[in-house]
Amino acid sequence: MPRARKGTIVQCDPSIRALILQIDAKRNHDIILEELDDTHLLVDPAMTDYIKEELNRLLSKNIYNPLEEEEA
Amino acid sequence: MSTNNLFKTTVLEYLEGLPQNVQSRLYESPASCLAIYRILPQLAKFLIMSMVFNEQEVALTDLSAWVTHQGKYEFNEAIKTMSSLHVIIKAEDPNDRADTKISLNHVFRISFRNALTGGEVHKSFGVVIEDDTDDIVLDPKADQSTLEKLRKLKQAKKRKNRAKSTQFLDQYAADKWETILHYMVGTPGMKAPSETVLNLLIHGNLMKEEQNGDLKITNEGFQFLLQEVNVQIWALLLQYLKLAESLQMNPVDVLNFIFMLGSLELGQRYSIDSLSKVQLSLLKDMSNYGLIYHDEQAKEFYSTRMATILTSDLMSIRSASNAMNSVIAHKDSDESAAAKQLMNQEDELDPSNIMDGALIIETNFKLYSYSNSPLQIAILSLFVHLKARFSNMVTGQITRESIRRALKNGITAEQIIAYLESHAHPQMIRMAEEQLTKKTELDPNTTETLQILPPTVVDQIKLWQLELDRIIHYDGYLYSDFDTLKEYHELANYADDIGVLIWKNDKKKMFFVDYEGNSQVVEYAKRLVKREDQDAD
Repeated sequence: MPRARKGTIVQCDPSIRALILQIDAKRNHDIILEELDDTHLLVDPAMTDYIKEELNRLLSKNIYNPLEEEEA
Repeated sequence: MSTNNLFKTTVLEYLEGLPQNVQSRLYESPASCLAIYRILPQLAKFLIMSMVFNEQEVALTDLSAWVTHQGKYEFNEAIKTMSSLHVIIKAEDPNDRADTKISLNHVFRISFRNALTGGEVHKSFGVVIEDDTDDIVLDPKADQSTLEKLRKLKQAKKRKNRAKSTQFLDQYAADKWETILHYMVGTPGMKAPSETVLNLLIHGNLMKEEQNGDLKITNEGFQFLLQEVNVQIWALLLQYLKLAESLQMNPVDVLNFIFMLGSLELGQRYSIDSLSKVQLSLLKDMSNYGLIYHDEQAKEFYSTRMATILTSDLMSIRSASNAMNSVIAHKDSDESAAAKQLMNQEDELDPSNIMDGALIIETNFKLYSYSNSPLQIAILSLFVHLKARFSNMVTGQITRESIRRALKNGITAEQIIAYLESHAHPQMIRMAEEQLTKKTELDPNTTETLQILPPTVVDQIKLWQLELDRIIHYDGYLYSDFDTLKEYHELANYADDIGVLIWKNDKKKMFFVDYEGNSQVVEYAKRLVKREDQDAD
């Protein structure tokens, strides 16, 4: 018998997917409901904003900021 | 993005949406007819011209014989626009669609002829006050010295009236319009525009009221700032028209007035005597936007350059700040130079004619803008990290943060790029042209187009926009655990057919439908089960 499950599908490239997996691991896997394929994940609808925030934080770490360098 | 089309609604679209009887009343004014004619597309102008002195109906096929095959789309658009404006009346033969006859709207034809050839039009184009009007009555009974004084006063007043010429009007319009824009960008220390303007900004969703009563600029407002001045004025006026309708003002009166403004002569005094009651109340509002100058004591008004470009299809003024800056810059020189600055884009390479606010962007994201207008600088600061200000220029840098800030404010990467491109320094354009010529010399078949901005900068700005949405997500339902492939296919294909399928994986026998479409899929699944049960029976 088929089953329908409520959730939010997240479409992203594999590198972002890896980051989301990492975020999920840190939180005892309460975010990801199902790993669908290389570019899709099924996540808890309530967590999408949290994922976005975390992604932003992680990605910002790797940004070169030309202004900081000048001020230093 | 839907907000992109925010300012695309033009005055033509507004007019098309008016009821036919309103349109007909509008066409009674020759000035309005002329103004509408001026804002119509070129092909429509041509078609109207061919029909205006022809009383007979014209077959649509005859008209279409004028356009080549490539122009068919444009032709149909022109016909469509004109018929929804009811400028032309179609008489369709129900038996033969090819035999459609077209004639010009009778009211429009008469008014437009009057506008062209000069008939009974004087009132609709405003009433000019001749210079010899006697504002000051010279009472012959008064003694000699007072009479002399009055004469002097009169002379002085006459001189003053003449001094209220283009320079004064340009300055006035610039002040008014800049006040509005400055208020929107939130330049500190600027006075707020009048109540009606603020109301309009709120109604147009360009600014919204915060909980503490302060006004804050919205996403739409940010986009508004990057538009050309002509678009900005019309956006506000259309908003004004909508507001006027809800205040039970007669739209015909308002439109007639706006269209009349577009045909007034700059620097000429016009009498307010011929205006209707509604139009008198408009005077004040329009002077708040800087479209006209109206001294409340005097029974006269002047139109400014901002009003005269209303119905001109010359999009020569690129942005508010430019127009105003060049006006201010030329306020000391003679006015013909100022006019030239506004009207002439070809002469840009002449160094004396470089528009204020021209900017140069280097491949290292550094930006130099030759401007000292606070407004120009305020607009730049929406998406540039500004570093230093000199007497005639500002320097800054485009950074990830500065672009992200703009993106979060609702400005799109395309808008930023378009703004940069339209404000590029002539030197940048020249360099781009040289490069393109070189490329075409090497390879005549090159598909390269003119790249005014460094491609790295353009790409990076676009990438920064993409980066903001690293993930795309949809709420919905995941269907899984299908027993058979057939069952899976039936349901997945159905979801795909009704356009709610977002993702599927045949191997895993799973698919995902969006939130809205789920109930339909469930419904279908139930029917399938029922049918199977019946088949089993």
